Amino acid sequence: MAASRDAIFQIIARETSLDRDSLRPDATLEELDISSLDFVSALFTIEEECGVVIDPDRFGPTSTIGELVEHVSSQTQG
Amino acid sequence: MVTGMGCVSGLGLGLETTWRRISRGEGAIRVAERQMAVGEQEFGFSGPAAWLHRSECESRLVTRDLRRLGQLDPASTYALVAMLEAVGEAGLMDHPVLARRTGVVLGCGSGGNATIDLAYARLYAQGRAKVHPQTIPSSMTSAPASHIAMLLGIHGPAFVLSSACASSAHAIGEAMHMVRSGRLDVAIAGGSEACLSHGSWVAWQSLGVLASDTCRPFSKNRKGMVLGEGAAILVLESEAHAKARGATILGELAGYGASSDAGAMTAPNQAGIEIAIRAAHSDAGIAPGEPALISAHGTGTAVNDPVEAAATNAVYGPVLAGHTVIATKSAHGHLIGATAALEFVIGMKALAEGLAPPVLNLIEPDPACDLPLALEARPIAHEVLVSNSFAFGGLNAVLIGRKAA
Repeated sequence: MAASRDAIFQIIARETSLDRDSLRPDATLEELDISSLDFVSALFTIEEECGVVIDPDRFGPTSTIGELVEHVSSQTQG
Repeated sequence: MVTGMGCVSGLGLGLETTWRRISRGEGAIRVAERQMAVGEQEFGFSGPAAWLHRSECESRLVTRDLRRLGQLDPASTYALVAMLEAVGEAGLMDHPVLARRTGVVLGCGSGGNATIDLAYARLYAQGRAKVHPQTIPSSMTSAPASHIAMLLGIHGPAFVLSSACASSAHAIGEAMHMVRSGRLDVAIAGGSEACLSHGSWVAWQSLGVLASDTCRPFSKNRKGMVLGEGAAILVLESEAHAKARGATILGELAGYGASSDAGAMTAPNQAGIEIAIRAAHSDAGIAPGEPALISAHGTGTAVNDPVEAAATNAVYGPVLAGHTVIATKSAHGHLIGATAALEFVIGMKALAEGLAPPVLNLIEPDPACDLPLALEARPIAHEVLVSNSFAFGGLNAVLIGRKAA
């Protein structure tokens, strides 16, 4: 199931209680103060709504939002 | 001393709205329809309840920084909105007493039903291997206490206790003792319940105690109880602390009595109820003979009402004629773990306003429930409130309040 980049950003915004505008692609999870619980919550909902499986160990506090969105987007192609 | 009160229920958001409606004889029981979409399936129920618009409550929290609290079950949302009203009224937002000399004691009967329902639906209806990661922290019964403590920066004791339909009465009473003993200067006490979820509804229906029409306390042809949802919170404060900071005293929590029937799980016991009522009077130092506003447990079930009426007559005897009995579940339904707190708040407001809100939906008085009921809104001069909660499992708690001087 292909998911638009915007849809992925919206899921992250919802699950982390952040404004969509604050999710700059170059911002790290640490900079945005996204807790590990909020992060796995976002992954859970991405998996549910985009029909993918994401390995949380690929990401850490210094990972950026852009890296997450790109990875999800690549998993949902085709 | 009571220095703040807040509530949300089917009657509305806030005590002013709640009082305006209930004093005019308006009820909040109407058909509830809740649906939950689980993948391609929809689960839902339809029936009489006193329900809330969750989104209205959420809009009251929009200006708050709630990120640290995580996802909120409605049980937490309702508790937070009621707490903000109570603590705001008490003038204690950002007050130094919150950090070290304040505690949180809430009652809740059944925890985060909406969150649990959704998780179980995923598990059983969809066969999923995972549920939302925040299922546990959002739905655990203690969550509302944590959320309140986090929002206010409270480092004193905070917890939720449970005694079914008497939960918030026990919570308020035990919090009173914590303040009396000097452990705390301030206690945020009350209850919250959000049990109008599909699973919970079916379970209540299956017990066979829900009315198909409405809640008719002490009436002939009453058919059972009606569920409600919401929260009510009191700010309890030591007299010394309240006076030192010039707080407005709304009234006094004068006494608390609690007992256990040790009888049956879903049938009340007159002897057990009498113990709790007498214990409350003894604790308050207020004789049963002093004319009081009695806020009945009055669920409208076949068994509660006559047993409560018999116990009330046994305790008060002939002086009962000088008391006034109200039964506000007829207006706001049965909020289970939050109901005692809501009823106490409404009762204290009734004392302050000098008006007893009417008992609604009575078709015809039941001779087995002989009580001096306020069937219409009635001016009262009572200075004492006796607020009754007699729960499933035979757990009883009675709170006694006094009008502000």
